[in-house]
Amino acid sequence: MSVFTYLGRNMASVSLNSIGNFSFSRTYDKIGRKITRAVLNSIGSREHLPTVSNPKTIRAIDWIGKKLSSAENRLILGASALLSQPFIDASNKEVDSETRRYSICRTVAKIIAGTLTGYTIRKLCIKSIDAFTKLPLEVKPDAKFKNLRQMLLPSIKCTTDELSQYKNSLGTLLALGVMVFTNFIIDAPLTKYLTNVFAGSSKPGAKKEVENAKSK
Amino acid sequence: MPNLNRIFTAFKDTVATKFGPNPAKMLIYTGVLGWFLSSAAQVMAIAVNDKIPKEQKMFLIPQEIGDGAINVLSFFLVTSSIKALASKLASSGKLATPKIRQFLTDSGINIKTKNGWKVLKDFDFSKFNIKNMTNFDQIKPEYESFKNGVDVIGMTVGSILSCNIITPILRNKYAAERQQKTLASLNKIDQEKVNYPKGISIDVYKKLAAMKYSSGNLKI
Repeated sequence: MSVFTYLGRNMASVSLNSIGNFSFSRTYDKIGRKITRAVLNSIGSREHLPTVSNPKTIRAIDWIGKKLSSAENRLILGASALLSQPFIDASNKEVDSETRRYSICRTVAKIIAGTLTGYTIRKLCIKSIDAFTKLPLEVKPDAKFKNLRQMLLPSIKCTTDELSQYKNSLGTLLALGVMVFTNFIIDAPLTKYLTNVFAGSSKPGAKKEVENAKSK
Repeated sequence: MPNLNRIFTAFKDTVATKFGPNPAKMLIYTGVLGWFLSSAAQVMAIAVNDKIPKEQKMFLIPQEIGDGAINVLSFFLVTSSIKALASKLASSGKLATPKIRQFLTDSGINIKTKNGWKVLKDFDFSKFNIKNMTNFDQIKPEYESFKNGVDVIGMTVGSILSCNIITPILRNKYAAERQQKTLASLNKIDQEKVNYPKGISIDVYKKLAAMKYSSGNLKI
């Protein structure tokens, strides 16, 4: 078993423990704690503890925790995917150059289509949930569907930040349901269309063909 | 008959309790669910596609399930591991803001030095959790705000690593092997004959790609 798998499993056990007091076994927990200790000790020094002192950085971290919803998360994943996945495909020497070119085009198309639909649908769903999760004071007297504006409010007490995260969560869950269908209705055809566009324009000699056609 | 209103209220309250105070947990859970639904949708697409012969469905469906399992496992293991590490860094006080450090210094956990803060030699970060301190309420808002941010950053870094680096590398390897095997079985030729440098022709690749409705990236 590789060190990475070992570390991954045990860190996963730590995460599971924190999520639901789940324990695989005492021995497993002991090993997990040992690894956690080793990893924690390897980050920063005990004599000089890492401290985030810059007020701007602290504000940015707070903002990320409070405001970053699954929609923005999807956008970040999409942007970073564009910076990494085409290069991973380009360095795949196990297929011939033509297949590689086609797979790069398909990857870029999938990322663009997936990110566009993923971000838009998440945002729209979160906005829709927000419209029906209004606090009594937020409901305007002349608002449409006035009686339904509070229907998604939880019955338990929440802070403002918790309520905002609740809306994000509910919106994301709704988006997941919606995307089961849009995967076929929007993503697949858009991916196919973009792949053909990219594959056509990246074809060796494509520029010459276009120039020849223009001169004719 | 079950009381739908009560079930709906219980559902809303569960979402609020589970994810309200912990946004990173929500992102991981919905991420895993997204990968799972995405894979399930792809399996369904193959299963209901009349254009794919029965023999190929028998191969493509387990193949899609395998692909989905790689995606879900890689996402969950890598992302939750990095999120857990980030979370532990904040909850153990290894990484903190000056306000949290001051609180830990006042409580005798950290020691102020000329250059910053330190801990005693025998202090065990893995056992310590700021939340378990008796005077935790004094620092609760500052700590929770910082920890949620660190958690979400850890989760985002973990998902970038798993979705955009580890999974594509694993998938490319798996897909290349799979394509060669499929090609060999489709054309009833020897496996050795389709190995690199001959590779796979673009027509065959397109044909194979067309059989798969979609695959790869996190769609959901």
